[in-house]
Amino acid sequence: MTTFLVTIGVGLATAAILALSAVAFTLEYAVSRIANFAHGEFLTIGAYVAYSTQGIFHQNVAAAAAIAAAAGLVAGLVLNTLVIEQFSGRSAITVLIATLGVALVAENVLDMIYGAANVSYSFAQGSLHHVGPFLWTTSDIEVIVSALVVAGLIYLLLQRTRFGKAIRAVSQDRALARVSGIPARRIIMGTWALAGAVAGFAGFALAATIGTFGPFLGFNFLLLTITATVAGGLGRPYATLGGAVIVGLAIQIAGNYTSSAYELVFAFLLLVLLMLFRPNGVFVRRSSVTVRA
Amino acid sequence: MYWVSVFTEAAIFAILALGLDVVWGWGGDFDLAFYGYLAIGSYMTFVLSIGKPTPPVEYIIGWHLPVLIAILIAVVVVVGVAAVVGAIALRNLRGIYFAVTTLGAVSALYLLVENYTPLFDGYNGVYGLINPGQTALNLTYNGYRIVFMVLVFVLLFGCYLLVQRLSRSPFGRMVRSVREDERAAAAYGRQIFFTKYRAYLFGAALAGLTGGLFAIFISAFNPSAWTPAELLLIYAAILAGGRGNPRGVILGVFVVYIGFIELTRYLPSPASRPDFGPALRQVLIGLMIILVLRFRPEGIFRERPGLDTGLAPAGRPRQARVQVLTTREGQAADDGGPG
Repeated sequence: MTTFLVTIGVGLATAAILALSAVAFTLEYAVSRIANFAHGEFLTIGAYVAYSTQGIFHQNVAAAAAIAAAAGLVAGLVLNTLVIEQFSGRSAITVLIATLGVALVAENVLDMIYGAANVSYSFAQGSLHHVGPFLWTTSDIEVIVSALVVAGLIYLLLQRTRFGKAIRAVSQDRALARVSGIPARRIIMGTWALAGAVAGFAGFALAATIGTFGPFLGFNFLLLTITATVAGGLGRPYATLGGAVIVGLAIQIAGNYTSSAYELVFAFLLLVLLMLFRPNGVFVRRSSVTVRA
Repeated sequence: MYWVSVFTEAAIFAILALGLDVVWGWGGDFDLAFYGYLAIGSYMTFVLSIGKPTPPVEYIIGWHLPVLIAILIAVVVVVGVAAVVGAIALRNLRGIYFAVTTLGAVSALYLLVENYTPLFDGYNGVYGLINPGQTALNLTYNGYRIVFMVLVFVLLFGCYLLVQRLSRSPFGRMVRSVREDERAAAAYGRQIFFTKYRAYLFGAALAGLTGGLFAIFISAFNPSAWTPAELLLIYAAILAGGRGNPRGVILGVFVVYIGFIELTRYLPSPASRPDFGPALRQVLIGLMIILVLRFRPEGIFRERPGLDTGLAPAGRPRQARVQVLTTREGQAADDGGPG
């Protein structure tokens, strides 16, 4: 039982990072109706920029996290302006292919700058703590707490601010939002900045938790992010958080009973099964309608 | 001999691209599992023809069949796997959902192959198919390579004729009509799923054949030999050449493959950073995909779907779905024509 609970604890730490990445992905989908396959690069860019600047702030974790978020924010704005907006009116699959091209470019530019070899932060992982039944490192706790805080902030933003209300309006019907006087383009831009920042922060958390990372950090995490997003339901931020917890726990438990090498095999089989039986997420009843986007 | 190998590889990829174009160009389904089919075809060709494994190497089957028969069986196996993936992914899922599902399936498969060594010896992969039939044909090493190149080109020409014929056949038009508007096609009595499924299996069969040829060409195969980045290159080639147009697809592969791969071979790489040149090449491929998609989505050659095209106009109606009423439905339905 104790080992099982420790597994759950590790799963929750994974789920926290996954939740951040997946919420960002789902926000991008919500306003632009596209699957951003360059989403992983936000994470990678956040992680690398924090790596480059870690000396400036004397290994201050909070400063590094803020810088990673800022880098992700810039990346989000750049991607939206240079690519997504250029493809407006084109089919979602066309944009998907274009963002796949962006991912290829970004990964290899990072490879050219930093090299293909893995790098690592010089932050301490911290000691192990018993929190209730769980066994977490200091950085695990920091990640989980900050994920909860970020999720809470996103909730408040979406529910309580004009900007959040506008995001919801644009994601439901862009044309209708526009005729109601909502500056849709600016709102979409803002959403990409927000999503980029959250993803950049998630990238820093991911890299710090794993220990070492390379140019493919984010792309390797992308499919897991998509699995969590689909489990919750594409374009539904709160359900996505639930999806991330489910996927994070599921792969940790499945991996625990077989071998950690097969964790991702289970994750991706889960993705295929979800697509087969619950393409709109586990929280809605099965719809018989063909899913297209 | 260098150019013999370059042209052989390009011709092999051209066959792969023809198959992929049936799925993506005609059917409109952006399939990310496709590189897995080449890999399975390759692996199966190996394990069926190189004999029993010697420990610590391990893999399944280990027969000693003639390589041509091995390739045939490999194609059958590939079609079988594609039948499963296609049955899941094509039934209700379109557009990005289809792409994500196929990516999930192929990633699970690849991780399994990498980690479960009894299947195909994990990361190490399989090897040992060196110029099969060279002694029987009484050829030198170089002579064999030239004969193999000619064989691949003959096969490519055969596949081209087949695909070109299919492209103008009622079947080709049916696949395209389903892509353009499923509801209309269904109203005209087309079976949506079955049409797409057949196109998908046909494409997978060509990928399996390519895998077999690739096995002979590189005589070793492991999980890093073939990755999504390679698949993107094929997509880039199809895009540049002209999606849905068999001639354009072949031209695209030769131009992109020889142009990019061979010319960028001479890009400078600092001695300390051997991966600099290849990375720059990937950057250029990525940029090409984005720019072609943005500015010339129909490629060099436009799609020409056949003779009586009273229904679907050739080529993509530029910016057809006007922004006036971009309902979710309107955006969703536009996953059709090239681009």
